[in-house]
Amino acid sequence: MKKFVLVTLVVLSHLVAVAQQAEADKYLVTTRTNSLGYVSLQLTDPYLSPLTYSGSGFDFNHESRRFLSLHNNNISIQHQYYLVGAIAYNPAGTASMLYFGANYSFGMQYHFRPANRFQVLVGGSWDVDFGFKDLTRNINNPVNMDMATNLNVSGVIRYDVPLRRRTLRLQLSAETPVVGLMFVPLAGASYYEMFELGNHAGLTHFSSLHNKRGINPKLTVDIPFERSTWQIGLAYQHLKYEANDMVFKRNSFSLMVGTTFDVLSFSGRKKKLSPNFISTNE
Amino acid sequence: MNNTGVKKRSGFVLLFVLTMITSCMREPEIQPNTYEGNFQALWNIIDTRYCYLDYKKINWDSIYTTYHQKLPAIKNEVAFFDLLGNMLAELKDGHVNLYSSFDRSRYWKWFEDYPDNFSTDLIEKDRYLGKNYRIAGGLKYTKINNNQIGYIYYGSFSDSFSDSNMAYAMRSFANCRGLIIDVRNNSGGSLDLSKQLASYFFTNDVVTGYIRHKTGNGHSDFSAPVEIITPAHKTIQWQLPVIILTNRLSYSATNDFVNRMKKAPNAIIVGDKTGGGGGLPFSSELPNGWMIRFSASPMFDSDMQNTEFGIEPDYTVNLSIFDMQKGIDTIIEKAIALIK
Repeated sequence: MKKFVLVTLVVLSHLVAVAQQAEADKYLVTTRTNSLGYVSLQLTDPYLSPLTYSGSGFDFNHESRRFLSLHNNNISIQHQYYLVGAIAYNPAGTASMLYFGANYSFGMQYHFRPANRFQVLVGGSWDVDFGFKDLTRNINNPVNMDMATNLNVSGVIRYDVPLRRRTLRLQLSAETPVVGLMFVPLAGASYYEMFELGNHAGLTHFSSLHNKRGINPKLTVDIPFERSTWQIGLAYQHLKYEANDMVFKRNSFSLMVGTTFDVLSFSGRKKKLSPNFISTNE
Repeated sequence: MNNTGVKKRSGFVLLFVLTMITSCMREPEIQPNTYEGNFQALWNIIDTRYCYLDYKKINWDSIYTTYHQKLPAIKNEVAFFDLLGNMLAELKDGHVNLYSSFDRSRYWKWFEDYPDNFSTDLIEKDRYLGKNYRIAGGLKYTKINNNQIGYIYYGSFSDSFSDSNMAYAMRSFANCRGLIIDVRNNSGGSLDLSKQLASYFFTNDVVTGYIRHKTGNGHSDFSAPVEIITPAHKTIQWQLPVIILTNRLSYSATNDFVNRMKKAPNAIIVGDKTGGGGGLPFSSELPNGWMIRFSASPMFDSDMQNTEFGIEPDYTVNLSIFDMQKGIDTIIEKAIALIK
């Protein structure tokens, strides 16, 4: 009898230990996506020229997403870095404008799961936007900078499409600025006057839907292969804002290709994520 | 809260959002790329952004009528360019140019109608700069008049120089009684370099001028004046007499430099009235891709007087033909006499 009790206690304690171990070994996994794209864009910057410049270039996007905590699989946090470089020309092709843009955003989204294989993510983000435009042939107004910070509303629709050999993930995401602050130069003033002589009045503007509108829908497809998951996507960005009696516009269309992964060793069809790892991809 | 209240509040929020979204942003009309469209675009740019229409008492509407009626006779691009160039010449402004792939329109009467008052041959005589001068950045320098006076020729404010360059030049003038800075035929460049060069001759920060910019389409819609301060350089300060030599080709950033030096404690301006160019130029372009440069921000001296038409020297001196035949630069000689 004593032996039976002892064995039972040992077995039970082992089971409890295994259960605790299993709980303790849960990990949040960050899903990362890196993509490169070819971008076609149009820029209107009345500080530099009344004409709209059109051109092309390349962009890079890095996005990472993970759940807020082990105990909450409904809210995810997202970091996104975006870089773009392009060269654009005036309609007559007599002048070129060099454009470099960068954006960082931090967001949180709630995951609704209305049906199997279907998710809707709704939330918001804060971003910092920077752009540099160089119209070299101009005199005293050869450069303009875009600087802004925004609070955005964002949303994602995901649908997993099961095929015979793999499951594709279709995703449509979009974001729009709601309120923020932006730098806009004075229409007739040079950077010499604004920065060298310190005439800063009227350079910083509160932005909201009345003077700044934008949307950046992106449609992507995740395609799992043997050892990696590839993503192809189409992205459109539209931004229009007004201040200091000038209306600025930026429109771009990008074809992107990249990879998405949870942890490098857990990607593709044959490298499934262990149940202990909690990913926003699941 | 009852349902009616919630509905009312939701209605107001929806109305507010819709108003925000549908409120239009006023985008300017872009003219078509035709002779007519390009003419209108150019005329509008000057009408709304050029800063001296009222100051120069130019009737821009009348100029429109005069040149617009010539438009139907225009048959080719070159004739069209000449028409626009002639219209811009009515502004009598060296900062106004139209740039195409085949030509650049200009107005040069602000110096062509005046004596040159400068000769490269003269300043390269051994009596002055000679052939063995030193070059520090954009500055050519030597000692003249039996090594008693320092002489710097600075030919363009687009040629930069550093504090180190100036420190070497001034060190070589350590035993001199004064310094001559010759900015004749210097037609401008960077305002930063103008400020930097002037800063060596100030012992305190001084308000040496003002600048304004257009704030609306009206010909006299200007911002409040913003002070232009010439700071005293922290480590290099020339406190002996300094003579600035000018002629009509001392223009734009050089005009700004001379304006600053007017307030320097030991500075005297000698030569001819500067060419002016007090309006900071901006660029824009026409639908056909031609670039237009025009004066956009008027600059003023410390008494809020426009500097567009130039700055009078303290001593007006012209090059004498007789002196020139003897290899003498009358203006430099006057500067030497003033230092002595």
